[in-house]
Amino acid sequence: MRFSDCKNDVRKNVELCDKLTHLSQEKLNAVVTFIDPEEQIQEVEKKDSSLPLYGIPVAIKDNFNTKGIRTTASSRILDNYIPIYDATVVKKLKEAGAVCLVKTSMDELGMGGTNLNAYTGKVNNPYDVTRISGGSSGGSAALVAEGVVPCALGTDTGDSIRKPASYCGVVGMKPTYGRISRYGVIPYASSLDHVGFFTTCVEDAARMLKVCAGRDDHDLTSSYEPVPDYESQLNSDLHGKKIAVLENVMSSIQDQRIVDNFNEMVEKLKKRGAIVEKVTMDEALLQTLLPVYLIIANAEACANHSNLDGVRFGMREEGENLEEIMIHSRTKGFSSAVRKRFVLGSYSLFVENQDKLFRKAQKVRRVLVDAFSKVLDEYDCVMASAAPTIAPHPEDSVGEKMSDTYLVAENFMVLGNMSGYPSLTLPSGFVENCPIGINLTCKAFDEQTLLNIAKAMEEESGLANKTAGGAR
Amino acid sequence: MNFETVIGIEIHCELKTHTKMFSAGPSSFGEKPNSCVNEIDLGMPGCLPSLNRHAVELALRACMGTHCEIDPLLKFDRKNYYYSDLPKGFQITQQFHPIGKNGYIEIQVENETKKIRLNRIHMEEDTAKQFHTSTCSMIDFNRAGTPLIEIVSEPDMRSGAEAAAYVEELKNMLFYLGVSDCKMEEGSMRCDVNVSIRPEGSDTFGTKTEIKNLNSISNVQKAIDYEVSRQKELLLNGQSVDQETRRFDEATKTTVLMRKKEGSVDYKFFPEPNIFPVLLDRAWIDSIQKNLPELPAQRKEKYMEQYGLSEYDASTLIANKELSDFYDEVVKHTSEYKLASNWCMVELMAVLNKENRSFEENVCVPEHLAEMINMIVKGEISSKQAKTVFEEVVKGKDPKKVVEEKGMKQLSDPNEILKLVTQVLDSNEQAIVDFKNGKDRAVGALVGQIMKLSKGQANPKLANQILMEELKKR
Repeated sequence: MRFSDCKNDVRKNVELCDKLTHLSQEKLNAVVTFIDPEEQIQEVEKKDSSLPLYGIPVAIKDNFNTKGIRTTASSRILDNYIPIYDATVVKKLKEAGAVCLVKTSMDELGMGGTNLNAYTGKVNNPYDVTRISGGSSGGSAALVAEGVVPCALGTDTGDSIRKPASYCGVVGMKPTYGRISRYGVIPYASSLDHVGFFTTCVEDAARMLKVCAGRDDHDLTSSYEPVPDYESQLNSDLHGKKIAVLENVMSSIQDQRIVDNFNEMVEKLKKRGAIVEKVTMDEALLQTLLPVYLIIANAEACANHSNLDGVRFGMREEGENLEEIMIHSRTKGFSSAVRKRFVLGSYSLFVENQDKLFRKAQKVRRVLVDAFSKVLDEYDCVMASAAPTIAPHPEDSVGEKMSDTYLVAENFMVLGNMSGYPSLTLPSGFVENCPIGINLTCKAFDEQTLLNIAKAMEEESGLANKTAGGAR
Repeated sequence: MNFETVIGIEIHCELKTHTKMFSAGPSSFGEKPNSCVNEIDLGMPGCLPSLNRHAVELALRACMGTHCEIDPLLKFDRKNYYYSDLPKGFQITQQFHPIGKNGYIEIQVENETKKIRLNRIHMEEDTAKQFHTSTCSMIDFNRAGTPLIEIVSEPDMRSGAEAAAYVEELKNMLFYLGVSDCKMEEGSMRCDVNVSIRPEGSDTFGTKTEIKNLNSISNVQKAIDYEVSRQKELLLNGQSVDQETRRFDEATKTTVLMRKKEGSVDYKFFPEPNIFPVLLDRAWIDSIQKNLPELPAQRKEKYMEQYGLSEYDASTLIANKELSDFYDEVVKHTSEYKLASNWCMVELMAVLNKENRSFEENVCVPEHLAEMINMIVKGEISSKQAKTVFEEVVKGKDPKKVVEEKGMKQLSDPNEILKLVTQVLDSNEQAIVDFKNGKDRAVGALVGQIMKLSKGQANPKLANQILMEELKKR
């Protein structure tokens, strides 16, 4: 389902999508909270029909604060949390005429890449329900892939939009750090968190970006960089575009079907006039990506979530005194996977450990970003398979374990989070009837080039608007 | 054995801003509990800090007033700990890069000037206020997020009196600079004192104790004096001083153990990722420096050098900034500096104290008081009349109108006065004889009669002068 499928009859669009999401719940388990859209329909019907998202139903990842609507971040500790304010990007969507339809399942507090660790249970892949959706924005990815909503908000701290986009076969984009305000987004790791979205085609991604982007005084890390009209400037002409293929990833992939699909795409891009070259980064350096990411992300996360103590909001477990209330609430409120991360994060921040863990990780992050940015000095775009496999079954999912086979290929997209550079995954084909995807990353604030190259690839793949539920 | 006392002081000072350090929630005092809060102050999930520019300006003023080196690159850090008065579970502070460092202020103790060095001034946010009852604890988040600066001294003070002078000097300075309202009793300025003693001549420090939350300058001195004697007694009895946190008990005038310090807490400080370092504009810093409000020391110098006030008068005026501000307004309209200072310090303060009024209520128009003073000097009203006029001036009335309404205009026409003098002399032969015989007292009696005859309106100076001339003629 794409924006252009949503005609000007707001009620019809919204009621259709509402019905379809309800129907999909049994199959996907992607929704945490259904929102009764009636009030919003009436609001939107009074608005100007030329608004960019007029009457468009959207799914919202459950870590975006939605005023008056339960927001759990798929964590037990927030199971009864009803925000008193809207996230900036939620506000912007509403102002653009969108209707918030559902809050979607995610890995608890964004911590995970499988969507297996959600308080409401795992999310199933629309193309094969025995497989995972990927995470942490799994619910959002699954709903868009199923074709029951045209777009969904997600967040991406490691690859939490771009990996599920690959597994589910949709366009998943996170723009430059600071391009979209993070105000009102329940954080995971502030310096790595990005707001982004899923759509079924590049054109819709371009429109979404325009709506969501821009400076927000509530987020000091948001950028003053002007927001162009990406959609009207979409241009799939690749003449002279220089694209680097990240060989460290491609050479490690064992599934020849995925490699062949990728190489076919490379040839097509070359035919369109692009200059595509293989680039190999320092392998030992790239092998630090996962540990560096985990140290920084967990350290920031354990501080970010110190406010979840059961005292002012959220699920409270009683105790004899304040300390007991906090301990009991946090012990019962978080899954063991999340508690483990807090312990790790806290450990790396201990004064005696900071130099060898947290500060060292910050330094290596800088080295990684410098190396990545050198590649982008030479090229307009870096390209690689978004995942070395199709969506795995739950028992085969590596999550964040140190996979020897795919230490780099499973984790390279975190370069986009460490650098803040804009990055996008789009579907490139199918293996065993399951989607595979290609990831592109461009220079800071060069989202236009990113979208343009993606548009060319989409024209070649013919997968625009492809959904598991088929065209409706 | 003789001991030397070593004192270092940490002062938390709330900045006088309209909104909070990292949110647009209103800063307040005495408002209904939990009425001045937004989602940020409550640490709701997903909130991000914004930065209060005015708070930065006030912190810069404090740095400038205390001769601190200013770090133009503003950076913030997280201090992590769990407590119910800390909604986010961390406090945003400046651990690694304080906005100011290596400053000093000068204090006066027993007519000697002493330099007290400041280690640092850093910005941070205040916590919520807690109230404990026997059955429950209550939290008021109005204070949560209020901008603070923490001013950390070097251990340069050697007595309770020096410590009190240091706090007083800082308090006065920060108040003058408009940085804070510095109300210790209301908690907008809070004092933690570190005290240790060591044998005289020793160059290592003794074990220190920290006395928390002293709420007045006199308590600073009392607490230190008690603590020093307590530590002395311990050491002289062969015992040791333990590192601990104590509080001052008003009732017994002693310090009481709060908790022992066993190892320091690891606050796991790390740079705040949600606030990028901010490079302060040099021109902005310069303009703050240029427009820095007058410091008390500068004002005192002006009073003594330019206005010719005594050191005592100058000190008395600057000790009360509102009084001094008012005086400055008065002397914009009169050059009778000394007379103006008397009226401000004595008469005006008497009215304020008696009627329990404050300068905030616009006690009287400075221009009116200046006008009244000018009228006295010009001889248009007598000092005695002035007291009556003043009673109306502090009710907001123009002295000229008061004089007119009350028909108080002083009689200063020599011809008119001469008539009165002649009349009095004609009916007081004996007084003239007494005067000729050298009884000066007679003159006083005669002036009294002239005044009485004029219903108090005759210019006494002029009347006296004409009387003397006429006496000599008889």
